[in-house]
Amino acid sequence: MTPDKSDVLYGTLGLMVIKTLEAMGPLHGYRIARRIEQISGDQLALNQGTLYPALLKLQQVGWISSKWGTSESGRRVRIYALTRAGRKQLHEEEAQWQRAASIVERFLKISEDPS
Amino acid sequence: MTRLRIFLLRLWTLARSRQMEREIDDEIASHLAEATDEYVQQGLSPEEARRAARRSFGGVTQTKEVYRQVRSFMWLEDLGRDLRHALRTLRKSPAFTTAAAATLALAIGANTAMVSVLNAVLLRPLPYRSPEQLAMVWTENPTQNLREGRSALWDVEQWRSQSQSFAELATFDAVSRTLAGADGAEQIVGVSISPNLLSLLGIHPVQGRSFSTEEVEQRQRLVLISHRFWQTRFAGSHDALEASLVLDGLPARIIGILPPGFQVASLDADVWEAHTTRQSVRGGEMWFVVGRLQPAVTFEQAQAEMSAVARRLNDQLPATERNRGVGVVPLSLYTVGPQSRLALWLLGGAVFCVFLIAAANVTSLSLARSTARAREMAVRAALGASAGRIVRQLLTEGVLLAAVSGLIGILLAVVAIRLIRAFEPGNLPRLNEVSLDPGVLLWALGISLVAGILVGLAPATVRRDMRPSGEGGGRSVTGGASTRRIRRALVMAEFALAIVLLVGAGLMLRSWWNVKNIDPGFRPERVLMIELSTPTILQAGTPREASSVSAQRIDLYARVLEQIQAVPGVESAGIIGDLFIGNAREQVLSVEGDSGTVAQRLGFTTDEVSADFFKTVGTPLLSGRFFAIGEGPEAPRVAIINDAMARRAWAGRDPLGRRFKFGPPDSDEPWYTVVGAVGNMRLQGQEREALPQIFVPLTQNPPQSGDLLIRTSSDNPLAMAGALRAAVRRVEKHAPIYGVTPLEERLGSYIAQRRFQTSLLAGFSVVALLMAAVGIYGLIQYSVAMRTQEIGLRLAIGAHSGDIFRMIIGEGLTLCLSGLALGLVGAWWLGRAGSSLLSGVTATDPLTFMAVSLLLTAVATAACYFPARRAMKVDPIVALRVT
Repeated sequence: MTPDKSDVLYGTLGLMVIKTLEAMGPLHGYRIARRIEQISGDQLALNQGTLYPALLKLQQVGWISSKWGTSESGRRVRIYALTRAGRKQLHEEEAQWQRAASIVERFLKISEDPS
Repeated sequence: MTRLRIFLLRLWTLARSRQMEREIDDEIASHLAEATDEYVQQGLSPEEARRAARRSFGGVTQTKEVYRQVRSFMWLEDLGRDLRHALRTLRKSPAFTTAAAATLALAIGANTAMVSVLNAVLLRPLPYRSPEQLAMVWTENPTQNLREGRSALWDVEQWRSQSQSFAELATFDAVSRTLAGADGAEQIVGVSISPNLLSLLGIHPVQGRSFSTEEVEQRQRLVLISHRFWQTRFAGSHDALEASLVLDGLPARIIGILPPGFQVASLDADVWEAHTTRQSVRGGEMWFVVGRLQPAVTFEQAQAEMSAVARRLNDQLPATERNRGVGVVPLSLYTVGPQSRLALWLLGGAVFCVFLIAAANVTSLSLARSTARAREMAVRAALGASAGRIVRQLLTEGVLLAAVSGLIGILLAVVAIRLIRAFEPGNLPRLNEVSLDPGVLLWALGISLVAGILVGLAPATVRRDMRPSGEGGGRSVTGGASTRRIRRALVMAEFALAIVLLVGAGLMLRSWWNVKNIDPGFRPERVLMIELSTPTILQAGTPREASSVSAQRIDLYARVLEQIQAVPGVESAGIIGDLFIGNAREQVLSVEGDSGTVAQRLGFTTDEVSADFFKTVGTPLLSGRFFAIGEGPEAPRVAIINDAMARRAWAGRDPLGRRFKFGPPDSDEPWYTVVGAVGNMRLQGQEREALPQIFVPLTQNPPQSGDLLIRTSSDNPLAMAGALRAAVRRVEKHAPIYGVTPLEERLGSYIAQRRFQTSLLAGFSVVALLMAAVGIYGLIQYSVAMRTQEIGLRLAIGAHSGDIFRMIIGEGLTLCLSGLALGLVGAWWLGRAGSSLLSGVTATDPLTFMAVSLLLTAVATAACYFPARRAMKVDPIVALRVT
């Protein structure tokens, strides 16, 4: 593990997953993991394994669904897709995240400015 | 909504967990394969690619573990595993399991049985409609210490019209009826009730109907029968309705069947008949009165109003009728009196103490075992079990053990309830209602759970001592110190509780002994009592026939006595109208004094006795003479009084030769002359003071039924019952005989309740004592085992084996005495709370306290003796070699 990679912020993995599925359409687990790593420019220390409990949680609350299919290389894989409820939730989560992020940003600006 | 969905999903996945497990395995495998492919494309060798894929995935096992937690009820799966493990562990040590389960099961069983009794007798509301509104209403006379007295219908009528507190008042009383049947007559118990009683209680016949007021006014002969009577006599057939019973020689029609177990104020009867409630003057008839309060009226308000009514009535009445008060007592409190309540609570407390001791013992056992299992725990901790996980495992074991014990305990309780019903002497009210209802079962489960948690948690709390790093060392993983501390505290608590129980039992035993040895004023040994009724034709009769009926009765009694005395082994025989009396009835008595006749209202009883009655029962003549055989209907009226009566009515002056009459001075009653005074007889049991009594000759006033008393020369008078019964039958084939009992047994029935309570308490305390002994034995035994090396060392450097013996005994005695000191304080405090149950002994009776302390110390010493002997015999060489 390179020390300069950030850990996945608690609770944000789910958001990343559903955003990925919105952008890319149905994907299997490995593709989701790689996509998240690529988007972050390989700056994120994602233990790919942690993805699976997160995927299960998202299924349990009904934001994504899954079914067995085949990957590009012909392997039997479980393919995840965003549900209608998940799509709705994504917009709410996005808005909420932006709000939270802008608040944190404002704080950071204050501490930069010594006035 | 979402929660429910997750819950259902998890439930679903739980059901197919094996498949889910396979699927996640597949998914992870494909993931790794995909990643490996990608790394290979990037130019890594297949082996390097596989390793890189693994690395970026992270821990596969961890992932699966987290995945499992998310997937389903982790705890449920854990529970299953824990349970299986616990079962295995318990099975592996059968000695511990059996001992612990048996101890707990016994304690839980006894507790459950006792709680079901408490529940039925004290806690459950009476089985009537809105029982909290029901009250017994009594006529009282505080100046004569007459409490809870029955009332005249005239009074009840006045109360009804003058008070607003009661929605309704009803009257009842027990009656004895002769039932004629195909195979002779028999005596059955009946209750005469006012027609409104059943509606007041909210009771409806299960078959047929109740009385209407018109029918009762017309004096139609109608009866309701008990459910039991219906089942035993009519086999539950519908033909019972409209059937006729011949009661006291007259037919009565059955119109209804009462609900099973129906009783009024603990009166349990087979036939229920109605009486009219009107009475124009205050007569001698006395009734029990039960009332239903108006809604929102409290007992205090009703009492206040009734007292005012009583005062108002007082002012309107002649002097002899005055000084009457009215008492309002909740029916529940009357049904189960304060003494029974207190006794039951104390017994409940006692059996709970037994449970606590049992739980303490099992906890102590499980602590001892946890020390032995320290290494197992250490290994589990080292292998990654979290502290919480291990605690949960221990708890599961404890609760499983307790649950099994609880189930066995409930079965034992079922047996115990049967035993209590069989052996309870029958004067504990509402015992017929005792059952294992859901509340009681909940209690049983509750205490089982508590026991389980204690047994499981205790080892968990001392687990802190155990280091996983117990590097295989024997001594370092014992965790002995704090375990021993807790076990000492437990044993001390056991001794404290045991001494409380023992003191209680000791005090009750002494009370019982005292009561048993109170002189009843007569000699019941070797006397047999036969209750006897005159034949039906000698019971009914118009006033015109009265004198002829009277003569026939006199003749019958005389012939019966003659026949009885002819039976070999009979020393003497006598008859009294009714030997064991209920309460004194208040009557007006006019006593001739030096300065004219004084009428006073007194509580006393009048009893008809045959000439040899006093000789037969062994009551001493204090002055004057007994009745003579020839004192017939034509002779002057004479009477014998007892000492209490002499003091009450003649105030210490010599009553011999004085005259009195029943009723006011101007009544038509004849004058009686006092010809003798006899000692007091305690005819309401030894615990109650003798009542004032007037005896009149049977030959001047023959009662309808009587108690035949026969003094025999046999120590087992009951063996003569057959011969005596035959003697009576020879005189009169149709005379109903019922109840043939040795007088001693009959007298004993008055203290049977006390005996029952005492023996229960004694039993509980013996169990407590034994458990405490086992507890201290186990602890000391363990302590010796732990200290074997130390003892060996001591012996090796010159200690005598006697010193070792004293050291070990001393360890036990210190515990015992500390527990004792604690317990004596508790016993002293509790004794005062229960002092009203004691008789002839104070709650702080030094003798009892001393004796019980000595007993407990002796038992503790005996329990420590064997481990101490073993300590003495430790071979220093062997002990020091063991490392």
